[in-house]
Formats: sequence, structure tokens, C-alpha cells
Amino acid sequence: MTFALEASGLVKEFPGVRALDGVNLTLRPGTIHALLGENGAGKSTLVKIITGVHQADRGELRMAGEVRHFQSPLEAAHAGIGVVHQERNVVPAFTVAENITLQDPPRRMGIVDRDRQRRMASEALVTLGVDIDLDARVGDLSVAQVQLVEIAKALAFSSQVLLLDEPTASLTGSEAEKLFEVLQTLRDQGTAIVFVSHKLEEVFAICDTVTVLRDGVSVLESATLREHSRRQIVDLMVGRELAEQPVRHRTVDRSITAALRLERVNTGLGHRDVDLVVYPGEIYGLYGLVGAGRSELARCLLGLHPVTGGQIVLDGTPVRIRNMEEALHRYRIGYVTEDRKEEGLFFEMPVRHNVAVTVWRRLSRGIRGVSQRAENDVTSRYVDQLDIKVASNQQLVGTLSGGNQQKVSLAKWLAADTQLLIMDEPTVGVDVRTKADFHELILDLADRGLAIVLISSDLPEMIALADRISVMKEYRIVGTIDNNKDYPKMSVQIMDAIHETVHTVA
Amino acid sequence: MKSLWGRIPLHGSGMTLTIVFIFGFVILVVTSGGTLLSHLAISSLLIYLAVPILIGMAQMVVLAVGQMNLAIGAMGGATSALMAVLMTDHGLPVWAAIIAGLACSTALGALNGVLVVLTRLNGFIVTLGTMTMLLGVQYLLVRTFTVDGYPDWLKKAGLQTVVGIPYMFLTAILTAIVVSWYFSRTIAGRRLLATGGNPLAARLSGISNDASVFQAHVISGVLVGIASLVTIASAPGINRSIGGDWLLPSFAAAIIGGVMLTGGAVAVFGTVMAACVLRLVDVARAQYSLDTSWVNFVVGVVVLFTVALSEWRQRRSTLQKMTAEVPE
Repeated sequence: MTFALEASGLVKEFPGVRALDGVNLTLRPGTIHALLGENGAGKSTLVKIITGVHQADRGELRMAGEVRHFQSPLEAAHAGIGVVHQERNVVPAFTVAENITLQDPPRRMGIVDRDRQRRMASEALVTLGVDIDLDARVGDLSVAQVQLVEIAKALAFSSQVLLLDEPTASLTGSEAEKLFEVLQTLRDQGTAIVFVSHKLEEVFAICDTVTVLRDGVSVLESATLREHSRRQIVDLMVGRELAEQPVRHRTVDRSITAALRLERVNTGLGHRDVDLVVYPGEIYGLYGLVGAGRSELARCLLGLHPVTGGQIVLDGTPVRIRNMEEALHRYRIGYVTEDRKEEGLFFEMPVRHNVAVTVWRRLSRGIRGVSQRAENDVTSRYVDQLDIKVASNQQLVGTLSGGNQQKVSLAKWLAADTQLLIMDEPTVGVDVRTKADFHELILDLADRGLAIVLISSDLPEMIALADRISVMKEYRIVGTIDNNKDYPKMSVQIMDAIHETVHTVA
Repeated sequence: MKSLWGRIPLHGSGMTLTIVFIFGFVILVVTSGGTLLSHLAISSLLIYLAVPILIGMAQMVVLAVGQMNLAIGAMGGATSALMAVLMTDHGLPVWAAIIAGLACSTALGALNGVLVVLTRLNGFIVTLGTMTMLLGVQYLLVRTFTVDGYPDWLKKAGLQTVVGIPYMFLTAILTAIVVSWYFSRTIAGRRLLATGGNPLAARLSGISNDASVFQAHVISGVLVGIASLVTIASAPGINRSIGGDWLLPSFAAAIIGGVMLTGGAVAVFGTVMAACVLRLVDVARAQYSLDTSWVNFVVGVVVLFTVALSEWRQRRSTLQKMTAEVPE
């Protein structure tokens, strides 16, 4: 049997990191193939090599038995490889037909051939079995329709191989169902589909075969999905190291005044009747799927969005937090953001400024301005305490490794002497070892009396760290569980909490 | 002061420009047979440096917060015209006119700031609007006349020297030192840079981006006010063309000096040295009676070349940093 696509021994190095270190994958026509792995495992790099965005340093790529190495995305597209990237790649001001043929519009004497353009677009939509007005502006379409236009665009030239990177991330449940029907239609027509997703439910619902990547290596290669349990797949993704980390049991004193108490809080973003209590020294886990409203709740607590009802009680006192400045300087709340690059750090500034930014006021000495020495002292203290690897305090943060950057973004809140720390996906995009270090660090901080709200979509991480776990779904807290750190039992309970509410909400 | 000068980097645009300046100056001195070393030549070199340095910094401050100020020339023109008219037609004493002028340019900066913050429009668009308005105001103030009915001593005050250095130049340098101090030491200055570098991170660090943007425009206004002051203290009269040729040099000095268009960084020393190099091009023009249009052409090429070069350098250094191992 010939394969639609065969990759063998792919290696790709970027400056300072080996993103792929021997990846094999075989793809049969008429199958949906799941590509799984944690953040940073190499999924996107693999997708980009197959589609000609990057070129592999070593290894081979074959289509229908023939060695092919694509130098550009257009070359890959003409060879019959279509891709829908995680980010949207449409021009909102163009029509559906124009967007579908965007990569290489049909031309006659250098001018776009409108008739052929419409014909190509319409054929692609028919293949998908969907009906969208060819002349509608893409900016006017719904998110789900745009997603379908993206797929039609990927299929405009041919439909041998289609790669989808997290296609359901921005879709609702029913929109995703519709998408799956389309994918099944394509499969039945003989298209080989690579489906990249974090949501195991979806993967098990529609995929036939599976490849799992971990740290740039394919640890499970093109296996039949049915022969593997969910548990086996998850273990392969996270690896043994993490599963075998010693469990650290802690006790939290809940007889003292709570550090944070929310009573029936409603917010302008749509949270309803949120109750939660966090004690000093406690790690309070907030688990849920992407879009459940966890980061949004954090932002409301920081005064970035309005709280419209209920009460926030900090250390026994009801408060109204109006903005981030107040949250930080008056109420001593810190927020370690999920996206370091976009929201957490000043990449072009030295470590010194990134750590001290929260305490410049305290370090200022009248007319002489911010004391350089005091700034250096504060920075050095946290560089030592958190074991941040820097050449000097003057090093630009953008030049540090991901794990060290994350530690800097934590250091600025510790420097500000916060009493309550909200950590949003603190280990996304850091390697396994740094992740383990970070887990130790978070537990140590809690042991020293800091109240921590941990937001994480990483279930093993949540179960390893949190003292109690609340499950959030659709901007409500649907269940709170005491965590006994026994992974098999806890994961089942948490999954139940998520699924039970599917029924109550529906 | 030691710490301030000690802060001047021995590499980067500032240093490169210093070398270019010295090199160019020596060539000019040699080819001119030494006439450029005369007291008069030196002091004229310095006198005409004051305005480029000041407006370069006025642009730099706004670039630092990630915006642009297109109204620099129009603000300067209107402010100079106001001072001249107040003294000539309304008989205001010199000190009162100066205070009024500085207050006016500061208020214009504040107006830009408020409009940017309130409308959430980009500074480019807001200052394009205020620029057009102010050109009208300047014309209303002086019409087609040259207003020169203010004391003669003022017209030459800036040209007076102390130990051979004109007051105008001294004013510009002192201002540069204060600006440098502001950005390196004060909380407000650092917050302004934080906003320019990453507004989202700045907000989450408890910094008000609105305050930073407002401040940048106000400081830009103050610096334009000082530039207007040295203009009136060195020009025989004020007419509607004053300020008309400030905009391009303000960008040229800041950008050649090493300020990033994306915000988050300043280069006071670089901006000063860039103004010096541009001034040298002008001196060369006078020396060899070159065509002005060719000088503009050369300046344009230099601006493009410098921006391309700094972009390339930045990309290369990022690549090096990515590969560099962090010492254990």
C-alpha cells in the first residue's frame, strides 16, 4: 500500500534548541491521523516542515513513494498538501472566493481570472459539503464559517493531505461537531488528514491513527488509536519523569483568616456566582478547558475588568479593586501571566528593570532618582533565590531561556512582597526539567505562607501542586475537590466534574 | 554627573556617530585649510546645533513611548510667533513672553497627549491634525510679516558665549543631560520606557499607560518650547516659515541616533551626536557651496542607510543571543 505521506528521521535544529530529533510518521490516504504532544514537543515544527515553511536539517519526506522537500509553502500546496494553521490566515476585506484562492489566484494574462477563481472556490466548498456565499466578505462571517473557508483554502489546489493545527480552539461544541462531519466527508473521499489537538475527547472521537511527540522525538509512531487507552496516550505525552515525581503532601491551616474570599461574585465578562476561598500557604487550583473563564476571573480580580456583583474579601476586609496599580501596591496581589512575551516581560530591558519595575517607587531616593544599588540588591536577591541563570543583572531579558524568563516574571511579584499570587499556566513552553524545578518553587512559596491561585490546563501539574481544585466551566465554578494527589483517582473526579455540568448546562 | 557620563555607551550608535563626526570634521578642517578652526566658525557650528538637538529629543521622547509627533515644527512655529507678537504688539516684557511661550508649547504637548489618550487614536493621526491647526494659528499671528519689534539684545542673547561656547548650545546640552537623567533615574521616565517597550506588560505591572503617553507628549512640548526660545534668542525676526523645516531633522536626529521606532528605548547621546553629524553635512555644503537639494538627498540616504543598518545589527545580535549559552 502506498502512503500519502511518509516522514523518516526528521531532524530540525534552531539556534540553541533541537526542535525535532528523529521523527517518523506515515500517513495513509483516507485516514484521520492524530498528532499529539505537549507544548514544545515539536508538533508545530513538524507541521511547518511538511508544509514547506521550514526545511529539515536531516531526514526524508516522501509523497507517494517519491522524495520531496518543499522549499516554500506554495510548492507544498501545489504538491497537494494543504494546511490550516492555528492562527487565522484570511484577509477580512476580501470575499470568500478571493480568500480561498489567495495563495495563487488563477490568472489570465497577468490579471485575476474571476470566473476560474469562483469555479475553484465553489469546487472546494462543494468538496467540503458546505454552503457559503462566494461573494460574502470574510470579515462578515462567523468564526466557524471562517474556519471552513480556511479549510477550503487549504484544499483549493488538491486534497491529498490536509493538516489542521488546533482547528477547534475557537469553536463552540456544535460548531466543532459540524467541522468533524466535514472532516469525515473528506476522509471518505480519500484525503489523508493530520489532526493536531490538545483535546483528547475530540481525538478519540474522530481519529483513526496516532503519532505522539515528546521533546522532538516520535515516541509512538503511526499506531492505531483504538489499540491504546487514554491513560497510555497521556503517559506517552508527559513522559515517565513527571509521572514518577515524588508527591509532596501538605497541610493547610484553614482556621486562620482567608487571604482571599469571593462571595457570589459576578463580573462584566460574564462570571456568575463565583465562590472561592484561598488561605495563606494554600495552593488553590483553578482547572478547566481553554475558554472556561479562569484567566478572565483573574483579570477581574486585578481590576482590569469590572466586578458587577458579590463581594471580594481580602484578609478579612471587603475591598473594591479599581485598577492594577491598586491591586499591586495597595492590596499586594501579583499576577504571573501565561504569555510571558506579550504580557509579562520587557524583552528589550535588562533583568534589573524587569524585576524592580514593581518596586521603583520604594527604591526611589528623592532627586537622586531610583537608587541603582538598591535596584541591583533586590534583583540579586531574587536571582539567587529563584536560581535564575543570568550573565549579569544587566542582561536583556529577551536573551534568557524560556524557563529563566518565567522565573524573572515571577521575581518581580516576589520583589513587590505580594500576599496573593495568581499564576496563569506557569509552565507553558518550558522544558521538563525546568518544569519540575518550577513545581518545587511553587510549593516552597506556599510553604512560606504565600496564598497562590494556580490556573493550569495541565492536569498532572494541577494534581501535583494544588491543595484544592475547583473546576470552572462556562464562567462558573462547577465543583471543588480536596486534592489527595493520587493522579488516577483525581483525574477521574475532575473529568467527571467537567462532564456532569455538560448535562446540567444543556 | 560622573554617573551620567559613565552611562554613555562606548559602543552603539552614539559612539559610531562620534567617530564619524570627528573623522568628517578633520577632513573638513584639512580641506578648508584650517579656516574651520576659527573662533567664528566653531561658534557658528555650535549655534546651529542647538535647535536640531532639542527637536531631535522632542521627537525621541514621543518615539520612546511608541508614537510620533508630526506637530513639532508647527508647535515651535506657533510658540515662537506667540512670543514675538506678545512682545512686539502687546508690549509684554521679555520674561513674561518667555514664560507665556513655554507655557504655550507645554500646553500644546498636553493637548496632543489628552487627545491621544481620550480618542485612542494613534499619535501620528492626532499630531497630523494639531500640526495643520497650528500652521493656521501661526499664520494668523504673523501673517506674511516678519515680527521683529522685540529688544535687540534678545535677538543676539543666544549668540553670546561663555568661554567660547554659545549660550544656545549650552542650553541644548544642559537640557540633554536633564533628559538623560529623567530616563535613567526617575520613576516616571522608566515607566514611560516600560509603556513603550510593552504596554500590556506595563499595565499588568501597575503602570498607567495613559499617564506615560500623556507625559511623553508634555515633555515633547516642553522641549519644543526650549527650541522656540533659543530660536527667538538668535533670529533677527519671526515669520511664518519658522519651524517649517524642523520635522524631518527631528526624525533624522532621533532615528540616526539609534532610537527605535517601535518604542521602549531612548538614545540621548546618540541623538545629540546624530544632530552633530547632520550639522556637519550642512557646514560642508556651505564650505563647498554645494546645492541644497543634494544635501537633502544625502541626508535622506543617510537616514535610510542608518535605519537599515540598525535593523540588520539588531537581527544579527538577536541571533547571536539566541545561540549564546547562558553561563552556569
